Amino acid sequence: MTATAAATAEIAARAEQVWKAYGSGETEVVALRGVSTHFERGRFTAIMGPSGSGKSTLMHCLAGLDTVSKGAVWIGDTQVTGLSDRKLTKLRRDQVGFVFQQFNLLPTLSAEENILLPLSIAGRKVDRAWFDTVVDTVGLRDRLHHRPSELSGGQQQRVACARAFASRPDVVFADEPTGNLDSRSGSEVLHFLRNSVREFDQTVVMVTHDPVAASYADRIIFLADGQIVDEMLDPTPEDVLDRLKRLDIGAEVEPSERPGAV
Amino acid sequence: MLRSSLKGLLHRKLRLILAVIAVMLGVGFVAGANVLTDSLSSGFDKLFATVNENVAVQVQPDDDAADGETEPPRLTAADVARLESVDGVAKVHGDVSAEGVVPFSVDTGKAVQTGGPPSLGIGIDPDELEDPASIVRLVDGSAPERDDEAVLTKRTANLAAASVGDTIKVYVPRLREAKEYRVVGVLQYTGDRDSLGGETMVGFTIEEGQRLFYGKEGVYSGASIVAEPEVADTALKRRVAADLPSGFTAKTGQEATDEQASEIKEGLGFINWFFLTFALVALLVGVFLIFNTFNIVVAQRSRELALYRAMGASRGQVTRTVLVEALVIGLVGSGLGLLFGAGLAMAAQGFFGAIGIDLPDGGVVVSVTTVLISLATGIGVTLVSALAPAIRASGVSPVAAMRDVVKPDKPLRWLLLSGLLLAVPGVALIAWALTGIGGATLPVLGLGVVAVFVGVALLSPVLTRPLSGLVGGLLSWGAASKLGRRNALRNPRRTAVTAAALMIGVTLVSAFTVLGASFKATVTELFNDQRGADVIINTTNMQGPPDGRLGFDPDKLDEVRDIDGVEKAAPLHVSVAKVDGSDSYVSATDLASAKSMFAMTVESGRVGDLADDEAAVDKRTAKDNGWKVGDAIAVQPAGGGERTYRIVGVYDSELGMNGVLLDSAAAKLFAGDLANQGYVKLSDDADSDAVVKQVESILADYPMVTVADRSDMVEQVNSQIDIALNIFRVLLALAVFIAFLGIVNTLLLSIYERTRELGMLRAIGMARKQVKRMIRVESVIIAVFGCALGIGLGLALGVAVGNALIDQGQMTTIALPGVDLIAFVAVAVVAGVAAAWWPAFRASRLNVLEAIAYE
Repeated sequence: MTATAAATAEIAARAEQVWKAYGSGETEVVALRGVSTHFERGRFTAIMGPSGSGKSTLMHCLAGLDTVSKGAVWIGDTQVTGLSDRKLTKLRRDQVGFVFQQFNLLPTLSAEENILLPLSIAGRKVDRAWFDTVVDTVGLRDRLHHRPSELSGGQQQRVACARAFASRPDVVFADEPTGNLDSRSGSEVLHFLRNSVREFDQTVVMVTHDPVAASYADRIIFLADGQIVDEMLDPTPEDVLDRLKRLDIGAEVEPSERPGAV
Repeated sequence: MLRSSLKGLLHRKLRLILAVIAVMLGVGFVAGANVLTDSLSSGFDKLFATVNENVAVQVQPDDDAADGETEPPRLTAADVARLESVDGVAKVHGDVSAEGVVPFSVDTGKAVQTGGPPSLGIGIDPDELEDPASIVRLVDGSAPERDDEAVLTKRTANLAAASVGDTIKVYVPRLREAKEYRVVGVLQYTGDRDSLGGETMVGFTIEEGQRLFYGKEGVYSGASIVAEPEVADTALKRRVAADLPSGFTAKTGQEATDEQASEIKEGLGFINWFFLTFALVALLVGVFLIFNTFNIVVAQRSRELALYRAMGASRGQVTRTVLVEALVIGLVGSGLGLLFGAGLAMAAQGFFGAIGIDLPDGGVVVSVTTVLISLATGIGVTLVSALAPAIRASGVSPVAAMRDVVKPDKPLRWLLLSGLLLAVPGVALIAWALTGIGGATLPVLGLGVVAVFVGVALLSPVLTRPLSGLVGGLLSWGAASKLGRRNALRNPRRTAVTAAALMIGVTLVSAFTVLGASFKATVTELFNDQRGADVIINTTNMQGPPDGRLGFDPDKLDEVRDIDGVEKAAPLHVSVAKVDGSDSYVSATDLASAKSMFAMTVESGRVGDLADDEAAVDKRTAKDNGWKVGDAIAVQPAGGGERTYRIVGVYDSELGMNGVLLDSAAAKLFAGDLANQGYVKLSDDADSDAVVKQVESILADYPMVTVADRSDMVEQVNSQIDIALNIFRVLLALAVFIAFLGIVNTLLLSIYERTRELGMLRAIGMARKQVKRMIRVESVIIAVFGCALGIGLGLALGVAVGNALIDQGQMTTIALPGVDLIAFVAVAVVAGVAAAWWPAFRASRLNVLEAIAYE
């Protein structure tokens, strides 16, 4: 994509000079060091990086699950930074969708009830047409009345995906969504994520360390030591693997660039 | 293995803390009851030891000699003089004393009530007060010198608001009336005690005392003998015994002390069992809580336990790690319970003191037995509760360490079966106990009830889904409530066990409430019946069964009959008696008048004026004993000889009269001829309040006598029932409270288990308020479920016991206290909300990110 496209496209989520530190004094760990980026509507972005690079932290901050130490985060037009717990909850409920590595479905609810859970928590009316679209896309039509314990891992994760899209959020965050799945189930989930972006104009931000998973994205952001070190558009698995290798070497060559304080 | 399980225990201490508290509360009650009775009996031991401190030998009438005759034998002055000459005797004090000598308040003119301890009168030798060995001394004024002078102990003076120089009215049983004395002195016991154990005591001159108590001077009821130095009590007792007139026996001071104390200890033993019963109920509830705790913790730890197994731990070792935890919890809980119990006992003693019950001071006695019983109960209960979960823990397969094993819900069929196997015999036992077959009714009833409790607890998982669904259906609005309901149904066993714990307390409270309401209804029905007496004179006697020595002079009823509006009045003399050899009561009355007062109907024979050797008996007593008209029965009232009476009539009374009835003249054969009760029939237009006032003034000199019209009577009995109900409710509150902790416990443990789920819910937009509501709904469902089970069982039990009482003629109707039962449900809802408070707070404050990452 080009810079002009980025400028004209609507922004679904944005980070501005985001710093994140845990602990204080001797034990302080800095996870993010002035990260600025944005995620355009209708695109599928992957965040990659080695363990401890801050990729999950960045996603948590963007999603309003964690607070930033410095800088600011927006979802759509809403500034996330500084919101009260109640407003954050509302934001997560209405503007954000989540897909977790552990599926995290409620065992007491059927697949359909799980999918509609965010709407029923919000007390919102179900848009049946959209619900049907989502259900058909994930291919769960005949599994709607099953309990999670009666579904395979891949099916459970597809339910979780459907749940994330059910409320038509501004952005869906997926945290290692294929981490607990075999490769076939994983690719089903990834296809679904990509299709929902392409066909229904949804926005997905996915954290992963799997180059194959990342290659489904339109764009990849590489993080190392809490900073964005690279970006890649329309990647292939080979490109990604190659880039990751270089990142790892870079991290090992320049250990002095890891100061302990902000 | 031991190390790791102890470490694990420390790690999980928050999850187990409520189990510890449950053990602590249950054991605390057990220990408290023991400490209280030990402390009280130690107090009474000290009291009687003080009384008999300087007494080497006590001379008193034979027990059986006192039974056969109206008047016990007396020692004469000559007897006392002869005792003084016995070798080794230093001094002989002739005893001049009587019970039932009641002072009246100088302020209010009302009789001074002690509420249990005796009202004593003694004759005092002024020299004795000077004796340094005496246990009483003057703190004000002087000893009585003249016949119209009296001294009071400090407590008596306080209760009667009397001081030196006042004139005080004193009721003397032998005179059957009150007499006035001038207070000349106030006494205290050694150690500056106002009384020994809450009793009142009025002291007269020796001669006045003898006249008042025995009817003549120069006689004594017994004697206290002081030995010369170096003379052994037992040796002296033998020599004294050899010289005693017939009908008297000699005891050493120690023997007398033990005997006096043992009677009171018997009564204390009853108090101990009373409290222990409630402690056992609380412990039973505790069992449910502990069982649930271990079950849940074991389920949560299955991965860890599987790891032990994978590393080579045997099944036995896994079971033992769980049991070690139980042992530690039992030990810590019982230890704390012991302290808590001692505190409770101290508080109870303080409370008795504060409400004016002056008990002898025995300190706080924590005996070795109490410690052992408390530890054994606490540890035993915990181990037994943890046994099943511990065995279950060992069944975890090693492979469970590697992956999440989804355990399918086990079918409830076996639970259903074993529940029925317990509940059905339980119901049979209850039925057996209530029909009175075999006689051992109370323990069998208790056993039956416990069997039903455990049986229903086992059955309740089957009921969880329909019942909780119903309750939940009423509460489910909004997604959060719906999720809460689903959570309550999610683990039927857990919900059921938690609810069943609450059921126990609620069942007992409901059953007592049904019985209380039924008794009230019975009483109201009884007294509202226009056919019976309108005004009832009654004697409240706290000091033992009636025998004719307490009450009022039946001749006073002549004055009552003269009151405007009084149609007739009849006395009722009551005495304990042996009838055909078994303990019972007999009443003597003017049957012709009494017949209408009690709405008596004739079942067979003749019920009317009785001759000297004739008796009438109610149909139930007749049936129970197989008596019929024409039979002869042998009646021996307390303090009198045996006589044979012929049954001439069998009656039935709708107004509660029962037992063997004799003619009024038979009262002369009782220990005393005072009437215990009086019944007054008024004309239709009479003002009963005015009549009550007039009767009261006529009988003002008789302490313990109360006068009431029908509405007063209903009110009095109702308030007594209310007091009894409230005592039961307060004591059962402990069991309900432990069940309440059980709900908190289950919710807290469930929240641990569902941490990740809660994190997810918060992440996808559930507000804190919604999280709280979800947990509140789960809690309310458990509470209402338990309460509903309890009310159901309680109603059944109450109605069953009520029917048994109706069969025995002790009750006429069964009333269902609808308002109370609805109130219980309301309380359950409130309790559910309250129980959810802390778990809901914790759940709503979970850190979303950490919760999602929680394993």
